Amino acid sequence: MSANQRIRGASAPCDAAFVTRWLRGCAAQIAAHRDYLTQLDAAVGDADHGVNLDRGFVAVGSVLEAADGLPPGELLVQAGSTLVLRVGGAAGPLYGTAFREAGRCLGTARTFGVAHLTEALEAALQGVTALGAAVEGDKTMVDAWLPAIRALRDQAGAALPDALHAATVAAEAGAAATTAMEARKGRASYLGPRSVGHQDPGATSTALLFLALERAAG
Amino acid sequence: MGDPRRSTIQSVDRAARILKALATGPPRSGVSELAERLGLAKTTVHGLLRTLERQDLVEQDAETGKYRLGPEMLELGNAFLDHHELRGRSLLWADTLANRVGEAVRVGVLHGRRVLIVHHVFRPDDSVQILEVGASVPWHVSALGKVHAAALPNDRRRTLLAGALPQLTGRTIIDPHVLAVALEEIGVAGFATEDQEAVIGEAEIAAAVFDHRGHPVGAIGVAGPAERVTPAGPSEAIVAAVQDTARRLSWEMGAPRRHAVAARRPRVDAG
Repeated sequence: MSANQRIRGASAPCDAAFVTRWLRGCAAQIAAHRDYLTQLDAAVGDADHGVNLDRGFVAVGSVLEAADGLPPGELLVQAGSTLVLRVGGAAGPLYGTAFREAGRCLGTARTFGVAHLTEALEAALQGVTALGAAVEGDKTMVDAWLPAIRALRDQAGAALPDALHAATVAAEAGAAATTAMEARKGRASYLGPRSVGHQDPGATSTALLFLALERAAG
Repeated sequence: MGDPRRSTIQSVDRAARILKALATGPPRSGVSELAERLGLAKTTVHGLLRTLERQDLVEQDAETGKYRLGPEMLELGNAFLDHHELRGRSLLWADTLANRVGEAVRVGVLHGRRVLIVHHVFRPDDSVQILEVGASVPWHVSALGKVHAAALPNDRRRTLLAGALPQLTGRTIIDPHVLAVALEEIGVAGFATEDQEAVIGEAEIAAAVFDHRGHPVGAIGVAGPAERVTPAGPSEAIVAAVQDTARRLSWEMGAPRRHAVAARRPRVDAG
């Protein structure tokens, strides 16, 4: 690594290797929590969240094998398209859109820093809300996304690992808070008040993706 | 509900409200919670609960002393389904339809502003699916609800359009004027399409079923992944199969020929 690259690396610590670590980490987290996610989904949905996401992220792994040399944004776009195709249900279009929007926001940049990463995650959330029309408190993945992004904004200027740690903590707290909520979006909303008392599977998997992001930063 | 409680029996009304409160509230409720929720005295609620308990309609948790719905409620629910004419007649047709198109089939009836699912046949594959019988969805986010509503007299349709239209996804139609136009088109086409308006990734195509008076009694529809049910507009094969099934079911319900004939022509022009 040249001195120049090292200096740029200090302000722009994320690159394709980081994104690859993130996506592989997502796959590992989802695989490890597959049955738990499915169990959560059985209470409020159709019991396929863990299985579907796991299938999708395994497919993302194969895409990564063949994606050597691509810029990080393009990796995310390809991962998103794979998730749309392979996950199915509501999670496929939602997470697929999220990763694709994040990738588009990063464009062709080879490296990027916390600020650009925050923008990309905001774009991802915008994609999710455009599809699902969910707002905070509806007991959806938005309840984990939004606090995480708020934490990232509050951490503007912080080192990457610290910023991502704050985001993960916020996403996990957001997911936990969905337990007390009544679902107003998605299949869980069919249950009305009976959805209270169950943690939302989508918010839970979103928190896992933020945990994978934090771990990718080392 | 309406105000004419004068001709009804107050304690029965209160008992029914307790059962509905237990059905829609937290899984277990204490006497004070219920009394507060319903605006009744604790002693009244207690007496009603004891009476309902004797009929097995509610039961008391031994540890917490809280109440929940009793096993007899399931018997009553099952009896409702068993005696439901549309459900009874649709059992075989729904199976046949599911096998024909390889997707899940649902039969629903409008109940207030929601569609109550009275029958559900799983997609004939080995995927995990959850039985939706007994679930209800807002009428305007369901092909079953839209096609049933489209067949209603104008005044009832207007009432439905005038009420709350909650947004469940980015694709839910929440503008009553847009929805009114959609219902007109559905009425002409003889089937309704719902494309990710209730749940992202899921779509449904449904047609109404009519009784001997020519009144709509409910609807039958095929539900599945949007990429198969509405790949680029409604799947023609599914539309044809759904309309065919609805027409046969209507005939079985004794529907006048005009409905059966109107539903027979497969038209696939409504977006």
